[in-house]
Amino acid sequence: MQEEKFEEKERFEIVQRFPSWKEILKPSTEMRKGYYSYAATLRDQEYLNLPFPREWSPLDEDWKLPPNWKEILINKMDELRKKYRSFQVFMDICVRCGACADKCHYYIGTGDPKNMPVVRGELLRTIYRKYFTKAGKIFGEWAGARELTEDVIKEWYIYYFQCSECRRCSVFCPYGIDTAEITMLARELLNAIGVSQRFTLISAAACVRTGNHLGLSPGGVVNSIKYAVDDIKDITGIDVEVPVNKKGAEILFVTPSGDYFAQPHWFTFIGYLMVFHELGLDYTFSTYAAEGGNFGFFHSFEVAKKINQKIYKEAKRLGVKWILGGECGHMWRVKHQYMATYADETYEEALKVLEEPVNPVTGTLFENATSTKMVHILEFLADVLKHKKLKIDKSRNDHLVVTFHDSCNIARGMGLFEEPRFVIKSVCNHYYDMPDHAIREKSYCCGSGAGLLADELMELRMRGGMPRAMAVKYVHEKYGVNHVAAACAIDRAAFPTLLQYWKLPVQMGGVTELVANAMVMKGEKERDTDLRGNPLGEYLEVEV
Amino acid sequence: MNVLSTIVGVVIPYVAAFVFVVGVLYRVFFWSKTVVPFKITTTSGQQKSLPWLKRTWMDRFDSPYTNWETAVRMLMEIFLFRSLWKNVRYELPSQTAVNTKWLWLFALTFHWSLLIVLIRHFRFFLDPVPPFVNLIQSLDGFIEVHTDFFQPHVVHIMITGLTLLIALLYLLYRRLFFPRERTLSLPSDYLALLLLLGVVITGLLMRYLIPVDVAHIKELAQGLLVFNPPTDLELHWLFMLHLLFVSSLLAYFPFSKLMHAAGILFSPTRNMPNNNRAVRHINPWNYPVKGIDWDEFYEDFKEDMEELEQMGYVVKPEEV
Repeated sequence: MQEEKFEEKERFEIVQRFPSWKEILKPSTEMRKGYYSYAATLRDQEYLNLPFPREWSPLDEDWKLPPNWKEILINKMDELRKKYRSFQVFMDICVRCGACADKCHYYIGTGDPKNMPVVRGELLRTIYRKYFTKAGKIFGEWAGARELTEDVIKEWYIYYFQCSECRRCSVFCPYGIDTAEITMLARELLNAIGVSQRFTLISAAACVRTGNHLGLSPGGVVNSIKYAVDDIKDITGIDVEVPVNKKGAEILFVTPSGDYFAQPHWFTFIGYLMVFHELGLDYTFSTYAAEGGNFGFFHSFEVAKKINQKIYKEAKRLGVKWILGGECGHMWRVKHQYMATYADETYEEALKVLEEPVNPVTGTLFENATSTKMVHILEFLADVLKHKKLKIDKSRNDHLVVTFHDSCNIARGMGLFEEPRFVIKSVCNHYYDMPDHAIREKSYCCGSGAGLLADELMELRMRGGMPRAMAVKYVHEKYGVNHVAAACAIDRAAFPTLLQYWKLPVQMGGVTELVANAMVMKGEKERDTDLRGNPLGEYLEVEV
Repeated sequence: MNVLSTIVGVVIPYVAAFVFVVGVLYRVFFWSKTVVPFKITTTSGQQKSLPWLKRTWMDRFDSPYTNWETAVRMLMEIFLFRSLWKNVRYELPSQTAVNTKWLWLFALTFHWSLLIVLIRHFRFFLDPVPPFVNLIQSLDGFIEVHTDFFQPHVVHIMITGLTLLIALLYLLYRRLFFPRERTLSLPSDYLALLLLLGVVITGLLMRYLIPVDVAHIKELAQGLLVFNPPTDLELHWLFMLHLLFVSSLLAYFPFSKLMHAAGILFSPTRNMPNNNRAVRHINPWNYPVKGIDWDEFYEDFKEDMEELEQMGYVVKPEEV
């Protein structure tokens, strides 16, 4: 397969199409450049023991599905609808009121009717009706049912990898139908017949093998930390020591691996280290559980579990009391809603050492994390800043006019809205929220979540990120906002490209970066640069 | 004895009611047998975390932490359509979203009107009529119209009957004339609306234009309820039509999207509290999956790990 590069167009059109319901029932199988994902590599499929590993490409006429693929799929569907009440109920109760239709950023950006959440659900629901309901069996398409064919599989592959599982539609649905849940189960179904996407599996396989999505060896992680402490010394003159795999530490710190070297994640990464040093925290990194995120979550239950178990196992081995998690989106959906449930005896084992999380600096018990024992860095920082345990010089962030992007998963899968705003306002003088329809539970996705950060999906990503970019544009023009803060590693990777594409001279960064930049450390030298190495207090214009 | 009246007035309603009751119970029973592996609350408000963090009343219900907060969330969904209230419409080319409450307004009007109309119908089945039914009847019909139609008399206009019709017409209108809604509507969506419209229009006709013998109908309704229907049935054609629409709707109910009425109670994104990290959820079918454990990991990266050991498990900056 030839790899095609994204061409940046001066303008693209959003063509809204409104075909008839009969037209919608027909599978769309056209693999358009920028809209379909590459197939999983044979190596990753084999490494993860996935069913029917093989070399294949979405562009092939024949996807080399197993001969009895239809039977496998129907059986799997029957299994899943009994295992997941969400699946069964969401298949049955949608009334197609259309409230969700224009809530999907991919629908807004592409105008493709099959990107409406309700229709994305119908892609699966039509098959469910055909094989599991009387009406569908008898009345066929008049009951909204259709035959399962290879074309339907191709359509699923296209459209269930055009959903970033952001759950925005589920906020507006009067029954709480969650398209993210439907997408997750559709991907589970595709996996059962050997159809997986490349990008998610590269990261997931790397994570299973090395402990992080980037595939860094333990030495690589250590080297990253080494560079970070060197950077901190350059900026502040302070020797920061970072414990790694230290047994008996109080806290295990886990962060998404993007933080270990990607830009602008890096500044947040050194921010963590500076803050922990300043607070005198007894913590440790782990090379075995070096990753907080879980790309298996975008693929299947089993791969998600493979990755998930590391953190509790490592907590037990190191004998830590509780776990602190860095800034990440889907990682926190998993940590908040899935981690303790996925874990079986590993959780019970870990409970032998874990204790209820108490902030050693302030004495605050994190009541909402007493079972999972895992605290979000922004909950932790909000507590620290509230108790004024850090010396803050807000004027160091005066060159920034900041807005906060609520990342989908921490917004709609956790409810973390006030903590980041409190933290940012504690360390910045200039903060403005984007319009109401674009923040908090109504926040727009960056367009690149749930395994869609792949380069081959660039046009989809730029279109899907349009509503978010326009909300940034609004505050940029109205208040002069020049910095978007977000507590998510995917955001930090996606935004620079997105803002560049939409010609917005706005930079991007994490929240902890802002805290560390404003923090006056004990014994620091006269600071002349910020964490980015720019002269202190000077905003370096972003080229667009 | 009139055969047609008996079939339409007794046989079909009994069959329809049977299908309805058994069908709905079966569906609900099937749903409750499926399991909930994860606690996947959609959080639409600030979570409960640090005690001093601002958390409004609405946050408590949009992101409930306790069971009673969750119950209030469900009640608000069922009786006030809380999620639809949040509806916004994305506008091109201005590329912004504006609040829109039309769907919320007409959907809420439809459901509340239907509920009140159903309660008003109790007076056909119950003797004596309970006071609250009479109260609702008199409140609903406080508008009096003096008319000379047929003969001079006073007509009480039942507001909910009319709002029910208007709301249904709007819901049909948007499926027919809004391009997006037309694209995503299936024949079954129209079927449900048309059946409801049939019920409502025949009902309104009986009330205002083509009067039927109410005492006779009451006799039938009460007889049906105690499984002792009258034997000398002679039903008006319009009432038979009304009854046929009602029966079709009842029989269709369990096989259709109309099951959303019961389904909303089972929706895991709405009926679970957002207290995941404080109260662990157990997945009943959870099974172990083998991953890489520490020893294998150590073997794989032995050199790196030994180097780290020599560093004393601490990373320090370069000595200058």
